Amino acid sequence: MRLLSSFVSLLSICTLSSALTAEEYQLGPDSQRQDGVPVGKVTQHQWTNSEIYPGTERDYWVYAPQQYDAAKPTCVMVFQDGRSYMSEKGQFRTTTVFDNLIHQGDMPVTIGIFINPGVVPPSSPDAKGRRNRSFEYDSLGDQYATFLLDEILPAVSKTYHLTDDPEGRAIGGISSGGICAWTVAWERPDSFRKVLSHVGSFTNIRGGHVYAALIRKTDPKPIRVFLQEGENDLDNLHGNWPLANRQMAASLKYAGYDFKFVMGTEGHNGKHGGAILPGSLRWLWRDYKPQD
Amino acid sequence: MQIRFVAFAIALQFCVSEFCVLVFSQDMPLSEILIDAEDWELVEEGFKFTEGPAVNAAGDVFFTDVPNNKIYKITGYEGVTTFVKDSHRTSGLMFGPDGKLYGCRRGLKQIVAYDTEGNATVIAEGVDGNDLVVNRDGGIYFTEPSTKQIWYITPKGEKRVVDSGIEKPNGIILWPDQKTLVVADTAGANLWTFRIEPDGSLRYKQPYYTMRLTRGKEGSGADGMTVDSRGRLYVATLAGLQFFDTQGRISGVIANPNDKRISNVVFGGSKLDTLFITCGNRVFCRRTQATGARYFDAKSN
Repeated sequence: MRLLSSFVSLLSICTLSSALTAEEYQLGPDSQRQDGVPVGKVTQHQWTNSEIYPGTERDYWVYAPQQYDAAKPTCVMVFQDGRSYMSEKGQFRTTTVFDNLIHQGDMPVTIGIFINPGVVPPSSPDAKGRRNRSFEYDSLGDQYATFLLDEILPAVSKTYHLTDDPEGRAIGGISSGGICAWTVAWERPDSFRKVLSHVGSFTNIRGGHVYAALIRKTDPKPIRVFLQEGENDLDNLHGNWPLANRQMAASLKYAGYDFKFVMGTEGHNGKHGGAILPGSLRWLWRDYKPQD
Repeated sequence: MQIRFVAFAIALQFCVSEFCVLVFSQDMPLSEILIDAEDWELVEEGFKFTEGPAVNAAGDVFFTDVPNNKIYKITGYEGVTTFVKDSHRTSGLMFGPDGKLYGCRRGLKQIVAYDTEGNATVIAEGVDGNDLVVNRDGGIYFTEPSTKQIWYITPKGEKRVVDSGIEKPNGIILWPDQKTLVVADTAGANLWTFRIEPDGSLRYKQPYYTMRLTRGKEGSGADGMTVDSRGRLYVATLAGLQFFDTQGRISGVIANPNDKRISNVVFGGSKLDTLFITCGNRVFCRRTQATGARYFDAKSN
């Protein structure tokens, strides 16, 4: 009974605390369903025969707005940790934001691809699978970009007419998924030129802390990047997230990149990034002229 | 403390997505393993080249002095005593579910099992094994650096090659659930990870763990490995004793206590909480907050 009552009081403290912080960053109308706004279609798929990441299995979801026209090459935006980004009740509600912004004409008609990280399932039910998220997202190099370009985009292209214009291809993610988005564009700016990073792990999980240094001494690449970060983000064995993002922003500025850096007050979560997602997408997609 | 607990509860409440759960559950810093007041202690010195530390059911640690053809036993009461007097350059060692000490007897190109009296039974011949791992069913995986191969010996004693091509395969270990195999490449930067199939064969080879390298060296010098009950993996390297979390992320490097390279590592002691490392002419130990994992402790399927 004592245990139960302390659990109840803990719950009430949690509810109170979350209510207090929730006032700071709330989802606006662009993140909620609006009457009269066409709702896009989401389909769920599995990718189980990767050659880039042998043995991995993963779910992914494809979003297509009602305005999609198969006759036109269509913009595409990829999200890591896809389930979190496409969830209708999550911190981002990306498909709802897409519906609203596309309807308002604030972003182009865009196919959304929401991909989970891979897992090599165990060979027997009593064992653990090999979780591939850190390997895929935190590793530097072109392996994940190649996975997207050689495996996922061709698969989605069987159903949807995706643009080849790198300015029409964006990629976003949170935490390790954020640095992953940057790595994809850094490695393949011929294919992806718009990056959205939420509390990105530009820290030393698998060497990603070097980007701030690399950017300054590398011929600038044609990448547009939006970085969201929080003052109360992680400070752990891999690094200090707020400092790492500040270093990234300073290096992007030094090297003359088209970037926007927003520092909030949240920790390692998607509350702030979700609340400002509509504005972030407007900024990323501003002035985009579709190729016909 | 209460504030931290509440903060954690709030974090959990927000952490519905996978990325968040992983971040909060997977950080495994040095401070979770090392004990402030504890340092490396010299167990014994005066050997030529120590290797193969292995732990039995009682927590006693055995190790080999390869060029001196001896296998030794460390116990809390007696210190270091000789277990096998003529080991024929036995290298890697590990206890099996039958209580026998399995070893790579390089001098005679054999894999053998020593009983509690130190008498050897030949398990396989004509193979130049360096290090081995014995699973709960008595199956054995071992590395053969000279041919760049990994071998598997079934519990019935049939041997076959299950991988080839790693530049210099050396240390070999299993995850605690014994369905994932990890092989260290001394010449490279990675530890290679495989899924173990029901018939013992290996699939989905991946450079899952990337090690810290020593400046000026191309290879990690990776040698022996061990795992703890939480799935952390420890590997002896030129840069020190490196350890990784369950997602393959390097989480710390424990400094080498002397000028000789660390060749191998195991958790031992009655509580299985003490790291033993073999380093050239010496053996060291260090108490930790972690607990080792022995495959024969797990129930057989």
